[in-house]
Amino acid sequence: MTSAPGESPVRMYHVSKSYMAGQFALQDVSLEIRRGEFVFLTGSSGAGKSTLLELIFAAEQPSEGQIVVLGRNVARLGPGAIPALRRRIGVVFQDFKLLQDRTVEENVRLALDVVGTPRREARTRVFQLLKSVGLQHRRFQQPRTLSGGEQQRVALARALVNEPEILLADEPTGNLDPELTLEIMDLIASASTRGTTVIVATHNHSLIERYGKRRLRLEGGRIAEDIPATAGVERGVGA
Amino acid sequence: MNRALVLIGIACANAARGLRRASSTSLLAVLTIAIVLVLIGGAWLLVGNMSSLLDEFGAELQLTAYLDANLPEARQNELAERVAAEPGVERVAVVTQAEALARFEKIAGSAELLEGLAENPLPPSLEITLAPEARTKQGIDALEASLSGVPGIGELAHGQDWIEGYARAIALVRGLALGLGCVLGLAALLIVANTIRLAVYARRDELDILALVGASRTFVRVPFLLEGTLQGLLGGLLALAIVFGTYALLLPQLERGLELVLGRSGLQFFTTAQAIVLVGAGAALGLLGSITALVGWRGPS
Repeated sequence: MTSAPGESPVRMYHVSKSYMAGQFALQDVSLEIRRGEFVFLTGSSGAGKSTLLELIFAAEQPSEGQIVVLGRNVARLGPGAIPALRRRIGVVFQDFKLLQDRTVEENVRLALDVVGTPRREARTRVFQLLKSVGLQHRRFQQPRTLSGGEQQRVALARALVNEPEILLADEPTGNLDPELTLEIMDLIASASTRGTTVIVATHNHSLIERYGKRRLRLEGGRIAEDIPATAGVERGVGA
Repeated sequence: MNRALVLIGIACANAARGLRRASSTSLLAVLTIAIVLVLIGGAWLLVGNMSSLLDEFGAELQLTAYLDANLPEARQNELAERVAAEPGVERVAVVTQAEALARFEKIAGSAELLEGLAENPLPPSLEITLAPEARTKQGIDALEASLSGVPGIGELAHGQDWIEGYARAIALVRGLALGLGCVLGLAALLIVANTIRLAVYARRDELDILALVGASRTFVRVPFLLEGTLQGLLGGLLALAIVFGTYALLLPQLERGLELVLGRSGLQFFTTAQAIVLVGAGAALGLLGSITALVGWRGPS
């Protein structure tokens, strides 16, 4: 089931998440993120950024409230329905989460394998994706032989290979130097221009200023600020 | 290409990769299953051959129903037909007085002992062979009750003690084999289950990433089930080879020993169907072990 055209792919209504009684990682969060929107999630460590992303891709269930992702109520999803939702969401982490004993191509192909994409078609799509992130010549290498920036580009290719409707990135540039950070952010921004809804959790304020996108600031598990996109300086893709 | 076929291909490739990655634990599981099946297979072969030998002895076991002397041959034949119709009776042979005398002469070397008698004192008789399932005390008692009081039939002679011993021996050997098989099978199951659990633990990073990209529970679990089945299959084949090798090596000595003690040999290896059952049992053990390992496992979040 896909969400109706025009329907916001992420909606939260009074969502709270508590891991221990009386202690909330998120508290009474309500928000709506529109199709194709690029949103930065900011806030100090422990503010609830990662929890919010985990709730969106159904790694966690809300303690209270409702979350509707791509038309599905996450709180009511059975274990069998979660994989189907995740195939429509790409996720990128700070620590890349690549399988070190497989090649770059095999890592990216993993997302296609789980949906039963025929091998020939999968190889073509992986090659195209790797080409778009400038790593086609590295496809038979293992991730450990690549730099941090290259590994994150592989993770990004894996997240995008199924053409997800939502791309979540949790501190995607946390391990990278400033130049590589911009390289990765440009690739993420280019997904947004193709219609993918992008949510990036980051501490990096200069990055937020540079792209001028909508910004949700979390504090103590609550939304402290929701600052709309500005006409700030925005780098073009690949610039 | 059919999507299901693609997924099956991917599951097989993942299972093969899993076996290669955890080659030492996989080898341990294969060897464990092989050892258990060697013991079970060996016991099975032993019991099978003992049963055959005991059946051969059992086939020779006969009951003798002595008939009244001077009973006309037509009446003797009628009685033979009557007895043959009894449940548990495999076949009946009539031994006439003349045949009884001829047998006596053969055993005694001559009939000198009987020469002083005016007429042949040996009565005619019916030699009754029981069906294998009736070679029990109950079977003989039932036949005895059924034939008692039948005009023309006198005493019923049989080696009941021997029959009881035979039945006890068969039951004991079969019971022991079954008990041993159950205990060893359970041990193998637990070892395979633990091996698969170790494999799951060793690959938790991979499983987390699979969950992240939307792999279904089936996609994650099937390679482990295939791995277990393949380990069991290899263990079964190895066990069959070991049992056959040992059998071939020991056969000449065993046959000589049996010939000396029992006066017969005729040992046999597994039939093709039995060999398939042994190897199949290995595969089933592997599969059950994997299922046991994955029961209760929620999988990656």
